[in-house]
Amino acid sequence: MKIENTKAQMRKGVLEYCILSILQYGDAYTSEILSELKDAKLLVVEGTVYPLLTRLKNVGLLSYRWEESTSGPPRKYYALTETGKLFLNELTTTWSELVEAVNLVTTNKSAKNE
Amino acid sequence: MNKTININLGGIFFHIDELAYQKLKLYLDAIRRSLSDDPQGRDEILNDIELRIGELLSERITNDRMVINENDIDEITKIMGRPEDYSVDEELFEDEPKYRPKTVSKKLFRDSDDKFLGGVCSGLAHYFGMDVIWMRLLWLVLFFFFGTGILVYILLWILIPQAETTAEKLQMKGEPVNISNIERKIREEFQDVSSRVKDGVNDVTEKVKSSEFKNKTKSGLQEIIDTLGKIILAILNIFGKFIGALLIFIAAATLIGLIIGAFSWGSIEILGFEGNYIHYPPFFFDSIMPMWLLVMFGFLAIAIPFVVLFMLGLKILSSNVKSFSTATKLSLLGVWIIAILGLSFAGINFATQSAYDGVHNQSEELPIMALDTLTIKLIGNDNLSNKKELRRSYSSESVYDNDVEKLYSTRINVDLKSTDKETAFVKIRKESDGKSRLNANKDAESIEYEFSLNEKDLLLNGYFLSDIKNKFKDQIIDITLYLPVNSVVYLDSSTKTFLNDVDNVQNIYDGDMPQHYFKMTENGLECLDCDPSIFGDEYKKDNDNFKLKIDEKGVELKVNDGDKNAEVTIDKNGVLIK
Repeated sequence: MKIENTKAQMRKGVLEYCILSILQYGDAYTSEILSELKDAKLLVVEGTVYPLLTRLKNVGLLSYRWEESTSGPPRKYYALTETGKLFLNELTTTWSELVEAVNLVTTNKSAKNE
Repeated sequence: MNKTININLGGIFFHIDELAYQKLKLYLDAIRRSLSDDPQGRDEILNDIELRIGELLSERITNDRMVINENDIDEITKIMGRPEDYSVDEELFEDEPKYRPKTVSKKLFRDSDDKFLGGVCSGLAHYFGMDVIWMRLLWLVLFFFFGTGILVYILLWILIPQAETTAEKLQMKGEPVNISNIERKIREEFQDVSSRVKDGVNDVTEKVKSSEFKNKTKSGLQEIIDTLGKIILAILNIFGKFIGALLIFIAAATLIGLIIGAFSWGSIEILGFEGNYIHYPPFFFDSIMPMWLLVMFGFLAIAIPFVVLFMLGLKILSSNVKSFSTATKLSLLGVWIIAILGLSFAGINFATQSAYDGVHNQSEELPIMALDTLTIKLIGNDNLSNKKELRRSYSSESVYDNDVEKLYSTRINVDLKSTDKETAFVKIRKESDGKSRLNANKDAESIEYEFSLNEKDLLLNGYFLSDIKNKFKDQIIDITLYLPVNSVVYLDSSTKTFLNDVDNVQNIYDGDMPQHYFKMTENGLECLDCDPSIFGDEYKKDNDNFKLKIDEKGVELKVNDGDKNAEVTIDKNGVLIK
């Protein structure tokens, strides 16, 4: 088992949550989402995001519109839908629970080891 | 110096050099393939990706460097990730994990990389997972021993497509079509090509220099040849489809016929219809196997090849048709071989049933002396056979004798001969085939035949009965009646078809003999009341030198002694002597 694969799997799992979170503060186009994810070091390669965005849109969590841009071709802006917001709320609760749980487990373990 | 190409990527216009273009195209194709699980979203995702690549590339363009080169593409792929990174875990979006078939189905292609003639052998070898050399040897044997091998090879050459794309080459070898395999394969091919190119590169440059002018005209000719090739290919394609349709039609018709046939055949037996509606093939009698097993074997032995033919036709017509799994193929082959073996076994068994001839003789004295008149009659049995007329026949039928099914046959020969003994006697010779001499003799003996003497009437049965299993054992009865010289016999009309080459002085045909009186002489029978017109030619010739005819017209006497003639006629005109 490669450590790189495990890392990638972990990141992929939360990527969905992160994309939805980025969009809750306002609509964004693909490059903005990408740069934000990259800045947070959540993303190693961009390729992963495109299929994810399309699928999130296809299941109705996201919607998009085309907007003219001053520099170059039109841009695809993504926005959260109502179901997307509800979905995000649920995810947020789950995430905080998960963080708590993981913290609990990992600290307990290190305490025991000492 | 590099050629550049103009492309439109996400609505932005780029100059890109040729190598970079090839690389970008390969990359996008690889992504397209890795997204192939999800055909609806694929085009949309690809558009997004192209848009992003365009954006990234436009950032790299400066006034100093207008053209996109290979390095740019390498950088882009580093940012965007390998093709595998694009595939999203399906489980995230689906309620149930998708079933992914583990086994990879092979497809039959011709291998253009490893070919001797058309690559048929190597393709078949890949398909059956064997070494090419054995496949080639097999075909070589087919070429030499059966001329049809050549025809089949050419047919396969036409019908099997060549593996052209990398995906097809992988399918041909049964390797899963995924990005890493395609990449590996392409790399292999690239190395192959580049090594070849290195060898030929000096050669080529010189050739290119010398032929630069010819190129234009050559390409025109090339075009014509290409077009012709395409037309021929199209015709062959149609021809192939036609063969496919024909195969399907023939196979389907045969299968339907077989199924109906087998069904009605079996059901008549099961429903217990009486009578002889069906004539079973020879070895259905006296077979060591039950009838239903034979029917099944026969059905399978014929049906399975046609099923295979049917599938072949379908595959020719449409490449989407899935072929049988290897397990199904093997079990079909196994069942077919078993059926063939079963049939051969039954066939050999049947053939040995009639390997030997057997004979049983029986002789009985009859109280008939010289000067006695004996009448010979052949009698049938209306209760057994429903045939109107009693006559000798080579075919037999099944009848019921006291509720036991028996074989009824009228294959009886009757002959009359003279004897030195004082009383007459009759010899009955029964013949039958059998598995061994002993069996044949027993079968011959078990033939049921009877005759009786009622005062001076000899009543011979015109038929004999035997076991129904003996239908194809060539059973026959020869009856020879030995009569003392000077006894007289009357042949009843019923003997007409049963008489067989009876010796008689006047050479009368067997068919003309009944309903006449005959006297037994040492040379055979002599007719007492026959019209001379029925006498045989040979007898007439011998007796031509003397003719005496007396009838209502008068008397006619002719004597012929070689070259001298004498004739006396007495009629209403008086006496005439010549």
